[in-house]
Amino acid sequence: MNCSSHFGLRLFLLVAASLFVTSLAPAQQKTVALKGGKVLTVSHGTIENGVVLFENGIITAVGVAGSVQIPKNARIIDATGMTVYPGLIDSETSLGLTEISAVDMTNDLVEPSDEIMPHMHVYDAFHAESELIPVTRLNGITNAIVAPASRDTLPGQDSFIQLAGKSRDEYLLVRDIAMPLNFTGEQRRNERGEGRKFPSTRMGLAAQIRQAFLDAQDYAQKWSDYEKKKADYDKPTTDLVPAPDSSAKPADKDKGKKQPPNPPKRDLKLEALLPYLQGKKPIVLAAEESSDLQAAVSLAHEFNLKFILNHISHSQSVLDYVASLKVPVIVGPIYEAPKPEERFDAVYSLPAQLYKRGVKIVIASYDSHNARNLPYAAGFATGFGLPYDEALKAITLNAAEVWGVADKLGSLDPGKTANVVVSGGDPLDVKTAVKMVFINGNEIPMTSRQTRLRDEYSPH
Amino acid sequence: MLRRLVSRKPASILLCLVAVIAIGLAALAQDSPAPFPTDVLIKNAVIMTATHGNIPNGSIYVKDGKIAAVGAKVFAPSGVTVIDAGGKYLTPGIIDSHSHIALDGDVNEATSPVTPHMMMIDAFDYHDKAIYHGLAGGVTTSLLLHGSANMIGGQAIVIKHKYGVNRDAMLFPGAPRSIKFASGENPKRVYGSRNQIPSTRMGNFAVQREALVQAQDYMREWDAYNTKVKSGDKDASPPKHDLKLDALADVLRGNVLVQIHCYRSDELLTEMAMAKEFGYKLRAFHHALEAYKIADQLAAANIGIATFADWWGYKEEAWDAIPWNAVLCMRKGVRVAIKSDSDDFARRLNQEAGKTMRYGGATEQEAVQMITINAAWIIGVDDKVGSIDVGKDADLVIWDGYPLSSSAVPSKVFIDGAVYFDRSLPGFAMPYYKEGM
Repeated sequence: MNCSSHFGLRLFLLVAASLFVTSLAPAQQKTVALKGGKVLTVSHGTIENGVVLFENGIITAVGVAGSVQIPKNARIIDATGMTVYPGLIDSETSLGLTEISAVDMTNDLVEPSDEIMPHMHVYDAFHAESELIPVTRLNGITNAIVAPASRDTLPGQDSFIQLAGKSRDEYLLVRDIAMPLNFTGEQRRNERGEGRKFPSTRMGLAAQIRQAFLDAQDYAQKWSDYEKKKADYDKPTTDLVPAPDSSAKPADKDKGKKQPPNPPKRDLKLEALLPYLQGKKPIVLAAEESSDLQAAVSLAHEFNLKFILNHISHSQSVLDYVASLKVPVIVGPIYEAPKPEERFDAVYSLPAQLYKRGVKIVIASYDSHNARNLPYAAGFATGFGLPYDEALKAITLNAAEVWGVADKLGSLDPGKTANVVVSGGDPLDVKTAVKMVFINGNEIPMTSRQTRLRDEYSPH
Repeated sequence: MLRRLVSRKPASILLCLVAVIAIGLAALAQDSPAPFPTDVLIKNAVIMTATHGNIPNGSIYVKDGKIAAVGAKVFAPSGVTVIDAGGKYLTPGIIDSHSHIALDGDVNEATSPVTPHMMMIDAFDYHDKAIYHGLAGGVTTSLLLHGSANMIGGQAIVIKHKYGVNRDAMLFPGAPRSIKFASGENPKRVYGSRNQIPSTRMGNFAVQREALVQAQDYMREWDAYNTKVKSGDKDASPPKHDLKLDALADVLRGNVLVQIHCYRSDELLTEMAMAKEFGYKLRAFHHALEAYKIADQLAAANIGIATFADWWGYKEEAWDAIPWNAVLCMRKGVRVAIKSDSDDFARRLNQEAGKTMRYGGATEQEAVQMITINAAWIIGVDDKVGSIDVGKDADLVIWDGYPLSSSAVPSKVFIDGAVYFDRSLPGFAMPYYKEGM
């Protein structure tokens, strides 16, 4: 790495970061009414000439103009001719984990020293001042999953972010929301050359995962045994001692008692697996080919893991089986190239094929710099048979439901967080310019490093 | 064409022979089926001509694979096959001015930074399904370029996406030669990592300049020899042929279109200065993500750009990329094409072009031009393809949906008047292709 070449970058990041903080600093209007737009509620249809009202960051009313009482102190924004919809949710990104892909020192994507790295938490690396985030939110993406890259079978745990905030902690809405388990063949990396070592096959990877979960089960058992012993130890021993306030000397009291139990040694890797082993949080089970998919699902079933599916780009032959699993699918990227033996639209049409079978689908960008193009992937799926409303849901309400945040996000309904986008038209189309973005009811400045460069070099 | 046929350079003769064979044998291709019907009347389409606006309820008469008539009403002989477009949009076939498909990874001869004698035709893998995938996205012509490991990578080919015909029938007849130059991070990384020159941008340009100086000397030797021959000197002995310098001499003589992979604005300027120093012309800068910073100079020099719609940040020299690049440059008078540089984008260049309407407000026709006529100009085939005008090749796309949108999908794709892709068909949706051909 050339230090001098990065001085400029660092300087710029500093300047940008300070700009960012000040740009959000002016006091925001507490009550905002977006009036007259075409409102895509996602949850209950489209309202032509609608009003979306929010106060203190929470949506308080959504309805036809005239039916919503607009408070006198409200800032009224004329949205006539505009389309108003909930902030978009990208269900897999590496936002905040990378700045310039080819510059290693700006990447914190995955820890490849071992395949089993569940104790990696993306929040430990998440860089809220990333220049990629303003670029992304200017296209109406207000929330995202940040996931480690897929090189490991268990690369760590995802965080769910919002794309604005006064501090890093405001960005990180839910830490460790889910854990990817990748079984796509890509994780098989030791098969060649002198570095050949276990695991070098899918069998090895599966055995390694199995062992990790078995070890975690043992670990859980050890802790549970310990907790039991500790509870026993802590319990007042009334049967031996007449009364707790006995006047007996402490030495006498301890005579009939065991030694306090020693806690097991903490193991961060195994500890990280526990919430997933206990079904408290979902595994994001990634496979592409039908064979890998079924192997991965078997593994998940073996340990009763709660899971959602990811990718399944080349599993067209087993879509009925996928539907029978009754789990949501993050499908794609739909731009994944077809296999030589597949028809040109084999992957493009997957969202529609899954939807037809009753599967809840979610669409993700699987990107960082280009996460802003998330809505276009959903739009593209409509060209291959996915109903429009379902495409919009796949990047809003379905995503919110899958990640367990639908009480706050994913649609325009009273009580939800005011993440609201105002655009010039169809949210899923490449031609549509986003005009305003609100996150937590705060109007986001429509600026990024890119708009600043544009303005600097635009003819005046 | 004639000029190139009489040229002394084996490389150009080879290409021209290939082109002649392609013209002669296209219909007789050994492993392709019987001649495809190339006379057709397409009616009831919204025709986006790319050069003279839209024709709302238009028709196109195609004869012998060429556009014979286009308009609201056209004359066609009775009995000609009629295709009713059902009111759908119709555009010229998409032209991808920067592609690396169908090369089976043989994109860079990365063993020396100057390899102008590498001929893409020698690596052309015409069975690659990526040709089909592009076709299904409406692409009918692509410029297959070398990679950017070398300062001077080699000579490109232009193909039509006639998937299923034989190799030579896929080559664009009469397309001019293009040579790929590169600069910036890639060459310096590739050779620098081996502790060889170039490992800096200084080294990059020194290597390039050195090669051009050699080519100048070489060209002078040949010029002297030719002068002697002309003046009747029967004892004159020809200089030794050097494939590498033959190719570069052709650059200096202006016989090859120079296509340069270049990102940073300072390097664009350096490449322009070098071209001036050695007296050759540049056709287009590829990627050119900082072109917006020096758009006036590019326009003045009549150098086009083949750029991305919104790709950025994948490396240091792509850090100043902005999605307004295409339109900012176009407004300054630069000829702008949106290209793929990727198997993926090649399948949906229409969407990428659509983005220029959102970033900077390109008009519909300007957006279409960026993936048709402007790209054709960069390749040097704008007299044959790239718009719906009489006399041009009937390379046409009928679309399901509005072409410049997220959801548009080609319904039918015609090349030289024949339907090579028809979405309504089962299997691979290609009328003339069967697996295993």
